Amino acid sequence: MKLSPFFHVNNRIAKTVTVLLAIPALLLPAACLLYILFKGIPALHWDMLAGTASAVSFGAIGSLWPQVAGSLLLMLGACMIAAPVALGIALFHALCASARQQRMLLSLLHLLQGIPPIVYGLCGLIVLVHMLHWGICLLTGAIILAVIILPMLVLNTVHAIDRIPLERTEAARALGMRDGQIVRRVWLPAAWPSLLTGLLLGMARALSETAPILFTATVFSGINWPDSLFSPVTSLQTHIFYLAQEGANAQAVNIAWASAVILVALVTTFSISASALRKIRVGG
Amino acid sequence: MNTKRKTSDMLVATAQPATTTDGVSLQVSGLKLSLGGKNILRDISFSLREHGINILIGPSGAGKSTLLRCLNQLHADWQGEMLIMNHHARQWPGGTDALRHQMGLIAQKPAVFPCSIEKNVTFGLSSRERKHPPAGLIERVLRQAVLWDEVKDRLHESAAILSIGQQQRLCIARALALSPSMLLLDEPTASLDPRSKQLIEASLSQLAETMPLLCVTHDIEQAQRLGGQIIFMCDGRIIEIASADTFFTRPERLEAREFLRWSTCDCS
Repeated sequence: MKLSPFFHVNNRIAKTVTVLLAIPALLLPAACLLYILFKGIPALHWDMLAGTASAVSFGAIGSLWPQVAGSLLLMLGACMIAAPVALGIALFHALCASARQQRMLLSLLHLLQGIPPIVYGLCGLIVLVHMLHWGICLLTGAIILAVIILPMLVLNTVHAIDRIPLERTEAARALGMRDGQIVRRVWLPAAWPSLLTGLLLGMARALSETAPILFTATVFSGINWPDSLFSPVTSLQTHIFYLAQEGANAQAVNIAWASAVILVALVTTFSISASALRKIRVGG
Repeated sequence: MNTKRKTSDMLVATAQPATTTDGVSLQVSGLKLSLGGKNILRDISFSLREHGINILIGPSGAGKSTLLRCLNQLHADWQGEMLIMNHHARQWPGGTDALRHQMGLIAQKPAVFPCSIEKNVTFGLSSRERKHPPAGLIERVLRQAVLWDEVKDRLHESAAILSIGQQQRLCIARALALSPSMLLLDEPTASLDPRSKQLIEASLSQLAETMPLLCVTHDIEQAQRLGGQIIFMCDGRIIEIASADTFFTRPERLEAREFLRWSTCDCS
């Protein structure tokens, strides 16, 4: 069949319009990133990464490792709490829930995903910090971050399980395999790249949340390394927030930019890892 | 292919009482199934002898695949009575999972697992048997599935590289590795090339000498080639059970005659 010349013209116009619409969407974040790198890289110095941390310098001198470690500890804690819970909820969805329960669960997860993180932070402040007297600490922050990333992790796990061909599951069931065996021998081997991708994206999300940990887990300074789960921590996110408020102090603002570069590097590392895993999944 | 076997050997009267008789592997009486408020299977009664091919045919939506899934207990909420090797299916020793070992189900679309050919064969075995498969098991079941000669030199390669026809035969071997009492096959040769069809039919004919097979097919010529007992279903009911010779030459019921007329007509 010969296509009309108008088809090619319309096709070209449609492509041009799509590209024009995409450019601002790409340019804005790219410009932000470039500006962060432009301002932050000159502010970075070796002592920030390798120097001795100072508990009283308010980040102005010495290493930023306490902040980096605090962010990573909060992120790891959140993922260690959220990942098994997400897997459990997703398996309940796949194995036990009725069609109605599945619909309700997915609606609830989408709803939870839309709640602003600061609301979770407020809940953490009232319930965990004040009512349970845990105080501002690593565990409180990790739990609140876990709650924030949980809907995303559950949805990712549910979709990963859904993508496994039904024929494969039924073949395993027809061979007399129990639910536990199917999960262990069919679902998890098939879904692990998706699950790991989701977990890495969850890590990136946990690493980028500021508001909820601001009043549940972190202090500005005075802490190098947390003594226990019930010790407060410092974090890169909140460090940037505090330093950026010191607009008149050029050194503080410089350190804020440097911290931003380190944070962006960490988040990018997790996002790129997730992207690479997705490619492995597609390739495999 | 089975002309040597007397079809009268395989014919069993329908709607027999729940007490099983010698030489009968499966006896189903008054089986019903409703899904979403709709009656899918209605008062299904039939028996299968200790060996031989039984072909389940009928128009789409007749409930053939659903019946196989009930027999394998993938649909567990059926009503009625099912006696397998003189045991009630509901009271099977070891429960439903153990019963599924006895009722090997081969689906229409072959589902191989993303591991080696060898591991696919032993996939349904216990962990100890998977690590140390019984001597000669893999070769025996692959020979029974008419696949051994094609894969004997590459048992450690991924099963995903096999053709669809080979994958289907691998699924048959995988089910056979569990030493089932019978095989249930849901259109095992649908959308396969003639050579693969021929190989699978050869495998089924061999297997039918040792165990009963219940095979769903839409291919009338294949049903004629395989012979055995024909169970004709329509609208969730068994309409007619007859030997292949009788069914294809002198079907008793109007529905069966209409089905054969439509299935064999040249619609072009």
